[in-house]
Amino acid sequence: MIDLLKGIKYVGSGVTLTLELLTGAFIIGFVLGGIFSIARRTRVGRPIVSGIVSVLRGTPVLLQLSVIFFTSASLTGIKLSILSAGIVTFGINSAAYVSEIFRSGIESLPRGQFEACQTLEIPRYHTWLRIILPQVFLNTLPSLINEMVALLKETAVVGMIGGMDITRSAQALAAEHYEYFIPLCIAGSYYYVLVMIIEWIGRKIEKKRVYT
Amino acid sequence: MKKNACILRLTDVSKTFGEMNVLNSVNIEIKAGNIVGVVGPSGGGKSTLLRCIQGLESIDSGKIEKYGRTGFMFQDFQLFPHMTVLRNLTFAPLVRSIAYTSELGITDKREAKNYIENEAMQLLRTLWIDHKASAYPSSLSGGQKQRVALARSLMMKPNILLCDEPTSGLDQTTSAEVASLLNKVNTDSGITILIASHDREFLKLVSNTIIPIGTAGDGTSPGHSTT
Repeated sequence: MIDLLKGIKYVGSGVTLTLELLTGAFIIGFVLGGIFSIARRTRVGRPIVSGIVSVLRGTPVLLQLSVIFFTSASLTGIKLSILSAGIVTFGINSAAYVSEIFRSGIESLPRGQFEACQTLEIPRYHTWLRIILPQVFLNTLPSLINEMVALLKETAVVGMIGGMDITRSAQALAAEHYEYFIPLCIAGSYYYVLVMIIEWIGRKIEKKRVYT
Repeated sequence: MKKNACILRLTDVSKTFGEMNVLNSVNIEIKAGNIVGVVGPSGGGKSTLLRCIQGLESIDSGKIEKYGRTGFMFQDFQLFPHMTVLRNLTFAPLVRSIAYTSELGITDKREAKNYIENEAMQLLRTLWIDHKASAYPSSLSGGQKQRVALARSLMMKPNILLCDEPTSGLDQTTSAEVASLLNKVNTDSGITILIASHDREFLKLVSNTIIPIGTAGDGTSPGHSTT
Protein backbone atom coordinates (compact mmCIF):
# COMPACT_ATOMS: atom_id res chain seq x y z
CA MET A 1 0.00 0.00 0.00
CA ILE A 2 1.32 3.45 -0.95
CA ASP A 3 1.60 6.06 1.79
CA LEU A 4 -0.54 8.88 0.34
CA LEU A 5 1.58 11.74 1.70
CA LYS A 6 4.80 10.15 0.48
CA GLY A 7 3.12 9.50 -2.86
CA ILE A 8 2.05 13.13 -3.20
CA LYS A 9 5.56 14.26 -2.37
CA TYR A 10 7.19 11.78 -4.76
CA VAL A 11 4.95 12.61 -7.73
CA GLY A 12 5.21 16.31 -6.81
CA SER A 13 8.96 16.15 -7.39
CA GLY A 14 8.10 16.02 -11.11
CA VAL A 15 6.19 19.31 -11.01
CA THR A 16 9.40 21.33 -11.33
CA LEU A 17 10.38 19.67 -14.62
CA THR A 18 6.81 19.95 -15.94
CA LEU A 19 6.69 23.67 -15.12
CA GLU A 20 10.15 24.31 -16.56
CA LEU A 21 9.12 22.58 -19.79
CA LEU A 22 5.81 24.45 -19.90
CA THR A 23 7.32 27.88 -19.25
CA GLY A 24 10.25 27.49 -21.63
CA ALA A 25 8.18 25.93 -24.40
CA PHE A 26 5.38 28.48 -24.11
CA ILE A 27 7.80 31.41 -24.34
CA ILE A 28 9.49 29.87 -27.39
CA GLY A 29 6.11 28.98 -28.90
CA PHE A 30 4.70 32.45 -28.30
CA VAL A 31 7.68 34.37 -29.70
CA LEU A 32 8.32 31.99 -32.60
CA GLY A 33 4.60 31.73 -33.32
CA GLY A 34 4.42 35.53 -33.53
CA ILE A 35 7.40 35.63 -35.88
CA PHE A 36 5.90 32.83 -38.01
CA SER A 37 2.57 34.64 -38.31
CA ILE A 38 4.23 37.88 -39.42
CA ALA A 39 6.64 36.06 -41.76
CA ARG A 40 3.65 34.32 -43.30
CA ARG A 41 2.43 37.66 -44.59
CA THR A 42 5.54 38.13 -46.72
CA ARG A 43 5.96 36.62 -50.18
CA VAL A 44 9.23 34.88 -49.30
CA GLY A 45 8.18 33.77 -45.82
CA ARG A 46 4.76 32.34 -46.72
CA PRO A 47 5.84 29.07 -48.40
CA ILE A 48 8.68 28.48 -45.93
CA VAL A 49 6.55 29.00 -42.81
CA SER A 50 3.60 27.10 -44.29
CA GLY A 51 5.93 24.14 -44.94
CA ILE A 52 7.39 24.21 -41.43
CA VAL A 53 3.96 24.50 -39.81
CA SER A 54 2.59 21.70 -41.97
CA VAL A 55 5.40 19.32 -40.97
CA LEU A 56 5.18 20.23 -37.28
CA ARG A 57 1.42 19.71 -37.19
CA GLY A 58 1.57 16.61 -39.35
CA THR A 59 4.01 14.54 -37.30
CA PRO A 60 3.75 13.23 -33.71
CA VAL A 61 5.41 15.31 -31.04
CA LEU A 62 7.01 12.15 -29.66
CA LEU A 63 8.74 11.63 -32.99
CA GLN A 64 9.91 15.27 -33.03
CA LEU A 65 11.22 14.91 -29.47
CA SER A 66 13.09 11.72 -30.37
CA VAL A 67 14.65 13.34 -33.44
CA ILE A 68 15.82 16.36 -31.46
CA PHE A 69 17.04 14.42 -28.42
CA PHE A 70 18.67 11.43 -30.11
CA THR A 71 20.02 12.96 -33.31
CA SER A 72 21.06 16.47 -32.29
CA ALA A 73 24.51 15.31 -31.17
CA SER A 74 25.29 13.45 -34.39
CA LEU A 75 23.76 16.12 -36.66
CA THR A 76 24.95 19.30 -34.98
CA GLY A 77 27.56 18.20 -32.45
CA ILE A 78 25.45 19.67 -29.63
CA LYS A 79 24.30 17.21 -26.99
CA LEU A 80 21.04 18.44 -25.54
CA SER A 81 19.89 17.64 -22.02
CA ILE A 82 16.42 16.17 -21.50
CA LEU A 83 15.16 19.56 -20.32
CA SER A 84 16.66 21.48 -23.28
CA ALA A 85 15.45 18.93 -25.82
CA GLY A 86 11.96 19.06 -24.27
CA ILE A 87 11.81 22.85 -24.23
CA VAL A 88 13.05 23.12 -27.83
CA THR A 89 10.73 20.40 -29.14
CA PHE A 90 7.57 21.48 -27.35
CA GLY A 91 8.39 25.14 -28.06
CA ILE A 92 8.80 24.66 -31.81
CA ASN A 93 5.77 22.38 -31.94
CA SER A 94 3.68 24.90 -30.02
CA ALA A 95 4.88 27.70 -32.33
CA ALA A 96 3.13 25.96 -35.22
CA TYR A 97 -0.19 26.07 -33.38
CA VAL A 98 0.34 29.56 -31.93
CA SER A 99 1.16 30.90 -35.40
CA GLU A 100 -2.18 29.56 -36.63
CA ILE A 101 -3.94 31.22 -33.69
CA PHE A 102 -2.18 34.53 -34.42
CA ARG A 103 -2.87 34.19 -38.14
CA SER A 104 -6.60 33.92 -37.53
CA GLY A 105 -6.35 36.80 -35.05
CA ILE A 106 -4.56 39.01 -37.58
CA GLU A 107 -7.01 38.11 -40.33
CA SER A 108 -9.96 38.90 -38.09
CA LEU A 109 -8.72 42.46 -37.51
CA PRO A 110 -10.31 45.01 -39.86
CA ARG A 111 -8.03 45.88 -42.79
CA GLY A 112 -8.72 49.48 -41.83
CA GLN A 113 -6.46 49.15 -38.78
CA PHE A 114 -3.50 48.58 -41.08
CA GLU A 115 -4.69 51.35 -43.39
CA ALA A 116 -5.13 53.76 -40.48
CA CYS A 117 -1.49 53.12 -39.53
CA GLN A 118 -0.48 53.71 -43.13
CA THR A 119 -2.36 57.01 -43.40
CA LEU A 120 -0.94 58.14 -40.05
CA GLU A 121 2.55 57.29 -41.33
CA ILE A 122 3.23 54.98 -38.39
CA PRO A 123 6.41 52.98 -39.08
CA ARG A 124 5.91 49.24 -39.80
CA TYR A 125 7.69 48.17 -36.62
CA HIS A 126 5.35 50.23 -34.42
CA THR A 127 2.33 49.22 -36.49
CA TRP A 128 2.95 45.58 -35.65
CA LEU A 129 4.29 45.89 -32.13
CA ARG A 130 2.01 48.58 -30.74
CA ILE A 131 -1.16 48.45 -32.81
CA ILE A 132 -1.71 45.05 -34.40
CA LEU A 133 -0.14 42.48 -32.04
CA PRO A 134 -1.62 43.87 -28.77
CA GLN A 135 -5.10 43.61 -30.31
CA VAL A 136 -4.36 40.17 -31.74
CA PHE A 137 -3.03 38.99 -28.37
CA LEU A 138 -6.11 40.11 -26.46
CA ASN A 139 -8.52 38.82 -29.11
CA THR A 140 -6.88 35.40 -29.23
CA LEU A 141 -6.29 35.04 -25.50
CA PRO A 142 -8.85 32.23 -24.98
CA SER A 143 -7.21 30.19 -27.76
CA LEU A 144 -3.75 30.90 -26.34
CA ILE A 145 -4.89 29.68 -22.92
CA ASN A 146 -6.20 26.51 -24.61
CA GLU A 147 -2.85 26.05 -26.29
CA MET A 148 -1.06 26.46 -22.96
CA VAL A 149 -3.30 23.85 -21.34
CA ALA A 150 -2.69 21.45 -24.24
CA LEU A 151 1.04 22.14 -23.99
CA LEU A 152 1.01 21.36 -20.25
CA LYS A 153 -0.48 17.95 -20.92
CA GLU A 154 1.82 17.38 -23.88
CA THR A 155 4.91 17.76 -21.67
CA ALA A 156 4.14 14.27 -20.29
CA VAL A 157 5.76 12.93 -23.48
CA VAL A 158 9.15 13.92 -22.03
CA GLY A 159 8.95 10.79 -19.88
CA MET A 160 9.64 8.74 -23.02
CA ILE A 161 13.22 10.06 -23.12
CA GLY A 162 13.68 9.67 -19.37
CA GLY A 163 12.49 13.03 -18.05
CA MET A 164 11.10 12.69 -14.50
CA ASP A 165 8.04 14.89 -14.88
CA ILE A 166 4.71 14.42 -13.10
CA THR A 167 3.54 11.48 -15.22
CA ARG A 168 6.89 9.71 -15.23
CA SER A 169 7.23 10.12 -11.46
CA ALA A 170 3.77 8.63 -10.99
CA GLN A 171 4.67 5.70 -13.25
CA ALA A 172 7.91 5.13 -11.32
CA LEU A 173 6.02 5.13 -8.03
CA ALA A 174 3.42 2.75 -9.42
CA ALA A 175 6.04 0.39 -10.78
CA GLU A 176 7.81 0.36 -7.45
CA HIS A 177 4.65 -0.62 -5.51
CA TYR A 178 2.82 -2.57 -8.25
CA GLU A 179 -0.12 -0.24 -7.71
CA TYR A 180 -1.26 2.19 -10.40
CA PHE A 181 -4.51 3.77 -9.25
CA ILE A 182 -3.28 6.10 -6.48
CA PRO A 183 -0.10 7.37 -8.21
CA LEU A 184 -2.01 8.12 -11.40
CA CYS A 185 -4.78 9.87 -9.45
CA ILE A 186 -2.14 11.99 -7.72
CA ALA A 187 -0.59 12.86 -11.11
CA GLY A 188 -4.04 13.73 -12.49
CA SER A 189 -4.70 15.99 -9.51
CA TYR A 190 -1.45 17.87 -10.06
CA TYR A 191 -2.28 18.43 -13.73
CA TYR A 192 -5.83 19.49 -12.87
CA VAL A 193 -4.66 22.07 -10.29
CA LEU A 194 -2.10 23.45 -12.76
CA VAL A 195 -4.76 23.74 -15.49
CA MET A 196 -7.07 25.55 -13.06
CA ILE A 197 -4.28 28.01 -12.21
CA ILE A 198 -3.59 28.68 -15.92
CA GLU A 199 -7.30 29.25 -16.56
CA TRP A 200 -7.55 31.60 -13.59
CA ILE A 201 -4.60 33.66 -14.83
CA GLY A 202 -6.18 33.68 -18.31
CA ARG A 203 -9.48 34.99 -16.94
CA LYS A 204 -7.64 37.74 -15.05
CA ILE A 205 -5.86 38.91 -18.19
CA GLU A 206 -8.99 38.52 -20.30
CA LYS A 207 -10.84 41.02 -18.13
CA LYS A 208 -8.55 43.65 -19.61
CA ARG A 209 -9.94 42.88 -23.04
CA VAL A 210 -12.82 45.23 -22.36
CA TYR A 211 -11.47 48.70 -22.99
CA THR A 212 -13.84 50.91 -21.05
CA MET B 1 -0.34 77.11 -49.66
CA LYS B 2 -1.81 80.12 -51.44
CA LYS B 3 -5.62 80.17 -51.48
CA ASN B 4 -7.06 79.12 -54.83
CA ALA B 5 -3.79 77.58 -56.02
CA CYS B 6 -4.26 74.06 -57.35
CA ILE B 7 -3.71 71.59 -54.47
CA LEU B 8 -4.98 68.39 -56.05
CA ARG B 9 -5.22 67.40 -59.68
CA LEU B 10 -6.51 64.12 -61.10
CA THR B 11 -5.91 63.53 -64.77
CA ASP B 12 -7.67 60.67 -66.57
CA VAL B 13 -7.67 58.49 -63.45
CA SER B 14 -9.10 55.01 -64.02
CA LYS B 15 -9.46 52.09 -61.70
CA THR B 16 -11.02 48.67 -62.19
CA PHE B 17 -11.69 45.85 -59.77
CA GLY B 18 -11.72 42.70 -61.84
CA GLU B 19 -14.38 43.23 -64.50
CA MET B 20 -15.83 46.26 -62.77
CA ASN B 21 -14.80 49.66 -64.04
CA VAL B 22 -15.09 51.80 -60.90
CA LEU B 23 -13.34 54.97 -62.01
CA ASN B 24 -13.32 55.79 -65.68
CA SER B 25 -11.06 58.60 -66.78
CA VAL B 26 -11.79 60.97 -63.90
CA ASN B 27 -10.49 64.53 -64.21
CA ILE B 28 -10.72 66.77 -61.17
CA GLU B 29 -8.82 69.87 -60.13
CA ILE B 30 -9.26 71.20 -56.61
CA LYS B 31 -8.10 74.60 -55.42
CA ALA B 32 -6.63 75.19 -51.97
CA GLY B 33 -8.97 76.21 -49.19
CA ASN B 34 -12.15 74.77 -50.71
CA ILE B 35 -14.52 72.19 -49.36
CA VAL B 36 -15.48 69.86 -52.16
CA GLY B 37 -18.09 67.13 -52.02
CA VAL B 38 -18.10 64.02 -54.16
CA VAL B 39 -21.58 62.60 -54.42
CA GLY B 40 -22.82 59.40 -55.97
CA PRO B 41 -24.61 56.16 -55.29
CA SER B 42 -23.19 53.26 -53.28
CA GLY B 43 -20.62 51.43 -55.36
CA GLY B 44 -20.18 54.46 -57.58
CA GLY B 45 -16.50 54.86 -56.79
CA LYS B 46 -16.51 57.74 -54.27
CA SER B 47 -14.58 55.88 -51.61
CA THR B 48 -12.28 54.34 -54.22
CA LEU B 49 -11.52 57.82 -55.51
CA LEU B 50 -10.50 59.00 -52.03
CA ARG B 51 -8.53 55.82 -51.37
CA CYS B 52 -6.64 56.29 -54.65
CA ILE B 53 -5.82 59.88 -53.72
CA GLN B 54 -4.57 58.74 -50.30
CA GLY B 55 -2.52 55.94 -51.87
CA LEU B 56 -4.46 53.11 -50.24
CA GLU B 57 -5.38 51.82 -53.71
CA SER B 58 -3.25 51.91 -56.83
CA ILE B 59 -4.64 53.41 -60.02
CA ASP B 60 -4.66 51.59 -63.35
CA SER B 61 -3.97 54.67 -65.44
CA GLY B 62 -3.90 58.44 -65.19
CA LYS B 63 -2.12 60.78 -62.85
CA ILE B 64 -2.74 62.10 -59.34
CA GLU B 65 -0.84 65.23 -58.36
CA LYS B 66 -0.97 66.30 -54.71
CA TYR B 67 0.59 69.55 -53.56
CA GLY B 68 0.64 68.91 -49.83
CA ARG B 69 0.14 66.25 -47.18
CA THR B 70 -3.15 64.34 -47.10
CA GLY B 71 -5.09 63.20 -44.05
CA PHE B 72 -7.74 60.51 -44.20
CA MET B 73 -10.90 60.02 -42.15
CA PHE B 74 -12.31 56.53 -42.48
CA GLN B 75 -16.00 55.79 -42.82
CA ASP B 76 -15.81 53.46 -39.81
CA PHE B 77 -13.33 55.70 -37.95
CA GLN B 78 -10.70 52.96 -37.40
CA LEU B 79 -9.72 54.29 -34.01
CA PHE B 80 -7.30 52.04 -32.11
CA PRO B 81 -9.56 50.27 -29.57
CA HIS B 82 -6.82 49.49 -27.04
CA MET B 83 -5.76 53.13 -26.73
CA THR B 84 -7.44 56.04 -25.02
CA VAL B 85 -8.73 58.97 -27.05
CA LEU B 86 -5.66 61.07 -26.18
CA ARG B 87 -3.32 58.19 -27.05
CA ASN B 88 -5.14 57.71 -30.37
CA LEU B 89 -4.24 61.30 -31.20
CA THR B 90 -0.70 61.36 -29.89
CA PHE B 91 0.56 57.89 -30.85
CA ALA B 92 1.46 58.56 -34.48
CA PRO B 93 3.11 61.95 -33.84
CA LEU B 94 5.01 60.48 -30.85
CA VAL B 95 6.50 57.53 -32.73
CA ARG B 96 7.64 59.87 -35.43
CA SER B 97 8.28 62.73 -33.03
CA ILE B 98 11.65 63.65 -34.52
CA ALA B 99 10.11 64.34 -37.92
CA TYR B 100 7.02 65.86 -36.33
CA THR B 101 8.60 68.37 -34.00
CA SER B 102 11.95 69.07 -35.60
CA GLU B 103 10.24 71.47 -37.97
CA LEU B 104 9.42 73.49 -34.86
CA GLY B 105 12.96 73.27 -33.55
CA ILE B 106 12.09 70.85 -30.73
CA THR B 107 14.73 68.16 -30.38
CA ASP B 108 14.32 67.06 -26.73
CA LYS B 109 12.10 63.95 -26.53
CA ARG B 110 10.30 64.95 -23.33
CA GLU B 111 9.67 68.43 -24.64
CA ALA B 112 8.34 66.92 -27.86
CA LYS B 113 5.99 64.64 -25.89
CA ASN B 114 4.63 67.57 -23.86
CA TYR B 115 4.20 69.62 -27.00
CA ILE B 116 2.32 66.86 -28.83
CA GLU B 117 0.06 66.13 -25.83
CA ASN B 118 -0.75 69.82 -25.39
CA GLU B 119 -1.52 70.11 -29.06
CA ALA B 120 -3.79 67.06 -28.92
CA MET B 121 -5.66 68.40 -25.89
CA GLN B 122 -6.12 71.75 -27.61
CA LEU B 123 -7.53 70.01 -30.66
CA LEU B 124 -9.88 67.95 -28.49
CA ARG B 125 -11.06 71.17 -26.84
CA THR B 126 -11.66 72.76 -30.23
CA LEU B 127 -13.78 69.77 -31.23
CA TRP B 128 -15.60 69.72 -27.86
CA ILE B 129 -14.44 66.27 -26.93
CA ASP B 130 -11.68 67.01 -24.41
CA HIS B 131 -13.76 65.55 -21.55
CA LYS B 132 -13.32 62.12 -23.19
CA ALA B 133 -9.52 62.33 -23.43
CA SER B 134 -8.95 59.37 -21.12
CA ALA B 135 -11.88 57.27 -22.39
CA TYR B 136 -11.56 54.29 -24.72
CA PRO B 137 -13.24 54.43 -28.15
CA SER B 138 -15.70 51.66 -27.20
CA SER B 139 -17.35 54.00 -24.70
CA LEU B 140 -17.93 56.80 -27.24
CA SER B 141 -21.04 57.52 -29.30
CA GLY B 142 -20.87 57.61 -33.12
CA GLY B 143 -20.64 61.40 -33.17
CA GLN B 144 -17.90 61.42 -30.55
CA LYS B 145 -15.92 58.81 -32.47
CA GLN B 146 -16.29 60.95 -35.58
CA ARG B 147 -14.83 63.95 -33.75
CA VAL B 148 -11.93 61.87 -32.40
CA ALA B 149 -11.26 60.52 -35.90
CA LEU B 150 -11.29 64.08 -37.22
CA ALA B 151 -8.92 65.23 -34.47
CA ARG B 152 -6.58 62.31 -35.15
CA SER B 153 -6.44 63.19 -38.84
CA LEU B 154 -5.78 66.83 -38.02
CA MET B 155 -2.88 65.90 -35.75
CA MET B 156 -1.03 64.93 -38.93
CA LYS B 157 -1.27 68.57 -40.06
CA PRO B 158 -2.71 67.73 -43.47
CA ASN B 159 -3.12 70.26 -46.27
CA ILE B 160 -5.90 68.17 -47.76
CA LEU B 161 -8.35 66.25 -45.59
CA LEU B 162 -10.11 63.33 -47.25
CA CYS B 163 -13.36 62.33 -45.50
CA ASP B 164 -15.00 59.07 -46.50
CA GLU B 165 -18.74 59.12 -45.69
CA PRO B 166 -18.33 61.24 -42.55
CA THR B 167 -22.04 61.07 -41.69
CA SER B 168 -22.55 57.37 -42.26
CA GLY B 169 -24.62 56.00 -39.38
CA LEU B 170 -25.14 59.41 -37.78
CA ASP B 171 -28.50 61.07 -37.13
CA GLN B 172 -29.44 64.43 -38.69
CA THR B 173 -28.45 66.53 -35.70
CA THR B 174 -25.04 64.87 -35.42
CA SER B 175 -24.55 65.16 -39.20
CA ALA B 176 -25.20 68.90 -38.91
CA GLU B 177 -22.63 69.04 -36.08
CA VAL B 178 -20.07 67.28 -38.29
CA ALA B 179 -20.84 69.78 -41.07
CA SER B 180 -20.22 72.72 -38.77
CA LEU B 181 -17.02 71.11 -37.45
CA LEU B 182 -15.66 70.62 -40.96
CA ASN B 183 -16.55 74.23 -41.79
CA LYS B 184 -14.78 75.36 -38.63
CA VAL B 185 -11.66 73.35 -39.48
CA ASN B 186 -11.68 74.80 -42.98
CA THR B 187 -12.16 78.35 -41.77
CA ASP B 188 -9.69 78.16 -38.87
CA SER B 189 -6.81 76.41 -40.59
CA GLY B 190 -7.55 76.77 -44.29
CA ILE B 191 -7.36 73.02 -44.87
CA THR B 192 -8.79 71.85 -48.17
CA ILE B 193 -11.45 69.20 -47.56
CA LEU B 194 -12.67 66.56 -49.98
CA ILE B 195 -15.75 64.70 -48.77
CA ALA B 196 -17.21 61.54 -50.31
CA SER B 197 -20.85 61.10 -49.36
CA HIS B 198 -24.11 59.77 -50.72
CA ASP B 199 -25.93 62.40 -48.63
CA ARG B 200 -26.48 65.33 -50.97
CA GLU B 201 -28.21 67.41 -48.25
CA PHE B 202 -25.17 67.12 -46.00
CA LEU B 203 -22.84 68.08 -48.84
CA LYS B 204 -24.99 71.13 -49.60
CA LEU B 205 -24.54 72.21 -45.99
CA VAL B 206 -20.79 71.94 -46.02
CA SER B 207 -19.33 72.09 -49.55
CA ASN B 208 -18.52 74.94 -51.91
CA THR B 209 -18.77 72.55 -54.85
CA ILE B 210 -20.34 69.14 -55.40
CA ILE B 211 -18.95 66.75 -57.99
CA PRO B 212 -21.21 63.89 -59.04
CA ILE B 213 -19.41 60.65 -59.67
CA GLY B 214 -20.40 57.34 -61.26
CA THR B 215 -23.56 55.35 -61.26
CA ALA B 216 -23.39 52.03 -59.45
CA GLY B 217 -20.76 49.94 -61.13
CA ASP B 218 -21.27 51.06 -64.72
CA GLY B 219 -17.97 52.85 -64.89
CA THR B 220 -19.48 56.07 -66.13
CA SER B 221 -17.69 58.40 -63.75
CA PRO B 222 -18.27 61.87 -65.14
CA GLY B 223 -15.95 63.63 -62.68
CA HIS B 224 -14.68 66.34 -65.06
CA SER B 225 -14.54 69.25 -62.75
CA THR B 226 -12.51 72.20 -61.64
CA THR B 227 -13.25 73.76 -58.27
